[in-house]
Amino acid sequence: MRLSKDLGEISAAQYEARRKSQRANTWITVRRLMGYSSAYILMTAIALVFMIPLLWMFSTSLKTRADIFAWPPSWLPDVPMWENYVAAFTSYPLARFMLNSTILVVLNTIGELVSVPLIAYGFARLRFPFKKVLFLLMLSTMMIPGQIKLIPLYSMYSRLGLIDTYVPLFLPSFFGNPFFIFLMVQYIRTIPRDLDEAARIDGAGTWTILYRIILPLCKPALTVMIVFTFLWVWNDFLQPLIYLNDFNSYPISVGLAFFQGRYSVEWNMFMAATLVSILPVLVLYFFAQKHLIGGISALGLKG
Amino acid sequence: MKLGRFSLFGLLAAVFLLTTLVVSAQDVVTIEWWTVNSEEFDEQVQRDLVEQFNAEHPDIQVNMTLLPASGFDERMTTTLGAGQGAPDVAFFWINNWLPQALDIEPYLEADPDLGPENYFENFWNTRAVWNDTVVGLPLGVGANFVIYNKDVFDAAGVEYPTADWTTEDYNALASQLADEETRTWGGDRPRGPYRAIWYNYGAKVYSDDSTTVDGYLNSPESVASYTWLWDLVNSGATPTPADLEILGTEGTGPIDLFIAGRLAMATLNQGHMLNLIDEGINFGIVPEPAAPGSELRHANAWSLTASIWKGTEHPQEAYEWLSYWAGPEGQQFLMENGNLIPSMPDVLATYENADTEYAQAFFEVLELPQVAQWDNAHPCKGSVMSAVSDAWDLVNLGEIERDEVQATLDSLVPVGQAALDECLTRLGG
Amino acid sequence: MLATWRNMNPLARREAAEGYISLLPWAIGFLVFTVMPVGASIVLGFTRWNIVEPPVWIGLDNYVRMFTADPMFWQALKVTGLFVLISLPLKLVLGLGLALLLNLKLPGMNFFRTVFYIPAVISGVAVSLMWMWLLQPDTGVVNTILYYMGIEGPGWFWDRNWALPSVALMSIWKVGGSAIIYLAGLQNIPAHLYEAAEIDGASRWRRFWRITLPLLTPTLFFQLVIELIDSFKIFTEAFVITQGGPLRSTYFYLLYFYETAFQNFNMGYASALAIVLMVIILSATVFVNYTSKRWVYYEAE
Repeated sequence: MRLSKDLGEISAAQYEARRKSQRANTWITVRRLMGYSSAYILMTAIALVFMIPLLWMFSTSLKTRADIFAWPPSWLPDVPMWENYVAAFTSYPLARFMLNSTILVVLNTIGELVSVPLIAYGFARLRFPFKKVLFLLMLSTMMIPGQIKLIPLYSMYSRLGLIDTYVPLFLPSFFGNPFFIFLMVQYIRTIPRDLDEAARIDGAGTWTILYRIILPLCKPALTVMIVFTFLWVWNDFLQPLIYLNDFNSYPISVGLAFFQGRYSVEWNMFMAATLVSILPVLVLYFFAQKHLIGGISALGLKG
Repeated sequence: MKLGRFSLFGLLAAVFLLTTLVVSAQDVVTIEWWTVNSEEFDEQVQRDLVEQFNAEHPDIQVNMTLLPASGFDERMTTTLGAGQGAPDVAFFWINNWLPQALDIEPYLEADPDLGPENYFENFWNTRAVWNDTVVGLPLGVGANFVIYNKDVFDAAGVEYPTADWTTEDYNALASQLADEETRTWGGDRPRGPYRAIWYNYGAKVYSDDSTTVDGYLNSPESVASYTWLWDLVNSGATPTPADLEILGTEGTGPIDLFIAGRLAMATLNQGHMLNLIDEGINFGIVPEPAAPGSELRHANAWSLTASIWKGTEHPQEAYEWLSYWAGPEGQQFLMENGNLIPSMPDVLATYENADTEYAQAFFEVLELPQVAQWDNAHPCKGSVMSAVSDAWDLVNLGEIERDEVQATLDSLVPVGQAALDECLTRLGG
Repeated sequence: MLATWRNMNPLARREAAEGYISLLPWAIGFLVFTVMPVGASIVLGFTRWNIVEPPVWIGLDNYVRMFTADPMFWQALKVTGLFVLISLPLKLVLGLGLALLLNLKLPGMNFFRTVFYIPAVISGVAVSLMWMWLLQPDTGVVNTILYYMGIEGPGWFWDRNWALPSVALMSIWKVGGSAIIYLAGLQNIPAHLYEAAEIDGASRWRRFWRITLPLLTPTLFFQLVIELIDSFKIFTEAFVITQGGPLRSTYFYLLYFYETAFQNFNMGYASALAIVLMVIILSATVFVNYTSKRWVYYEAE
């Protein structure tokens, strides 16, 4: 653990610097190799534990109904039922549902990108009366159980004639999600103020500083925001359930629920559909990572 | 003058034309209908039914909203609470929704083709009538019964159970059928107290006049029921709560375990029965067992109340659709093309598998007195049961001794009474 | 407010105005999406409302009952408090540990980061079934492994003493989600600080305590507040798996709230419960916020 933590703070360039300051080059190489391998062993062990559920879901998705709970349980069904995947996709328009979810993700992401940096910058950098109270007020909106707001909000959207549209499902994002605002505030507060001051001396206004100086440095936080927005919108079941009527407009979260009947769940099909449905979330995350790693620490290296 | 008359004529013609246009536009009434996709209500069959109705009724357009069964309740409660956007016609299968259901008695009386006499009487009484008003039509029927796996019985060389069996027989059979080696259990355990078996013992959670818990929750009948459960649990012939929750399904019954051949007897329902037919399992059906030395026998049976929302703007048209959907046409259609077991004797008589052994056994269960009769008249049952749930947990987890059942129930009387009192105040007496 | 405004110099006044402009979207959203529904809940907290019929005004009765005559309320509060105490520190520490591991710049890290993210992605019924299957007392994977290690595994969800830790374990498994946030925070620590420390010959352990941890405190503060709120609002795991049992050992506050509102249709009382929960979490947050002045370090200030 200790070795790997050490490695956590070493990047290629740092390593270079260290090379010059120390004499025992070979010793470093040995240590590096040891660090590498211990880190890999540790991570592989944890990864295996984290993968068990996924493997189990996968094996369930390939079984017949009678095999799922057979004794003794088997990890690999004798005859893998790949047709479960076909059946899952033909029984409901899952591709359509996933497309709908994607549309919702895009709309929400746009909303968050428009609102969150602006609001967070205000809280993090600008000085004005009652800031602390307003900030606490903002945090407090996360503390009330969401279910209590369902009926009043439904009533409001219904009066506005917005039931069976996507509006209730993305409009709030344009007014900032407290979680992301808070995240962004904390992030901006760790960015040195010298950068702002330097730009101000050069004649940049508040908004220029926000969008030209601060925001580009917030890439990791913005990436977290996009990854989480994707995840939450993808998994949100209650909101679309409450606001949508048209079967063809349902997102994947609601679509998956159709595999649960009143009396039983078709576990094999359900697992097949669930597995396929989480793929986009994982793929997005896989590619988003390169924006997650970087930011100030990289900037510091050049300077 | 001529011109004047002409223009007047023209004006009249225009007005006439406009009125016809407006009237004909108004003539097509849209009815919002919410339903679910489930074992007995298949998506496509329901779409076909709507299409057929819309074709037969050019002045009514039924608009179907299909919701997942697991989210239907939240959606309905939210819309009924908001007082707007609720569907004209839908399942009102939670009793707490019924104050928002339209009294359809006037429409029924005006309808020469439909009336209470078309439905099974006990389902009409428990599902259509509420607080002396007719709140809807009972659509389809369902019931719990014990399904036994004939192959497992044959393999163990044990005789099949008969319809006149008792709870003692149940435990004895379960013990004979359990097999540690193949991890097969004899029979499952009930999913809650004060259902069919408790009522067969004559046990009630509180008095019929809804005033007293003492002497009911801890009555000799209640103690006998819990003691029977205690015996079953401690025989080891029944799956543990852990096994049931993992291998069963969402609290409705261990169907998957039964399909896997690892449970010889299970309390399941008609939806599961259809699963078993699909899977080609060799099974038989008996009602839930009676108490030893008693003839009293209840069924945990239900039908789905199909209702019109009080806030509808088109009650007449909504009734047209309701009486089609939950009337003979709809139920016949849903039975023939899907898996619905109809709540109308005349329709059920045409069931294609009516002669099979399992169907006959199922029909007999439908004739039994229902658990719902007492439950519907006692809306506080749920609150009191939840307050005294410790007794159920303690027996099921095997945490008390057999002779501690009485004391445990005695000790829960005060919390049960408090819950009953609170519920009565809340409901306004 | 006006007095403060008048005492400000033009530059500060301009900055304050810009501050309020930046907050405008949030303020509008707050009024529409929060004040309205929460205001409705506050009012409903003084009523008896079964959702389908008009509410009846009963004054403070709901609150009086809650604090004087409702053992379920106290049980739910106790269980939830216990859960917060167990899961909060574990989630904070393990999330950070995992993030430090994932921050290594090694080949193949993208794969590992994605694997650790999986638990946060799968939700709902599939996960609950999986966990019950893993933790099944007799045949589950976990107890089987323990058996080979010579340990008799506990009853997990089906044992009154183990059900709460089991739920905590489930939520800790999702720590890959919060590790991402730490990971983002780690990117904000300037590398030159490490270089300088290295030249000074500071040990790695010392560098973690002197550089990484202090500079990560803003992220830690964020995680603390968010996890605090989340832990108090624990619901889904218990709703799907334990339903509050056995013997109410996992009868979390929101579970009680949900049963009251949507199963017993006692929305007036449920609203009062929601308001009390908000007050409790808010007090805890204000307290954390108050202490934060001592331990949260912002480089910018």
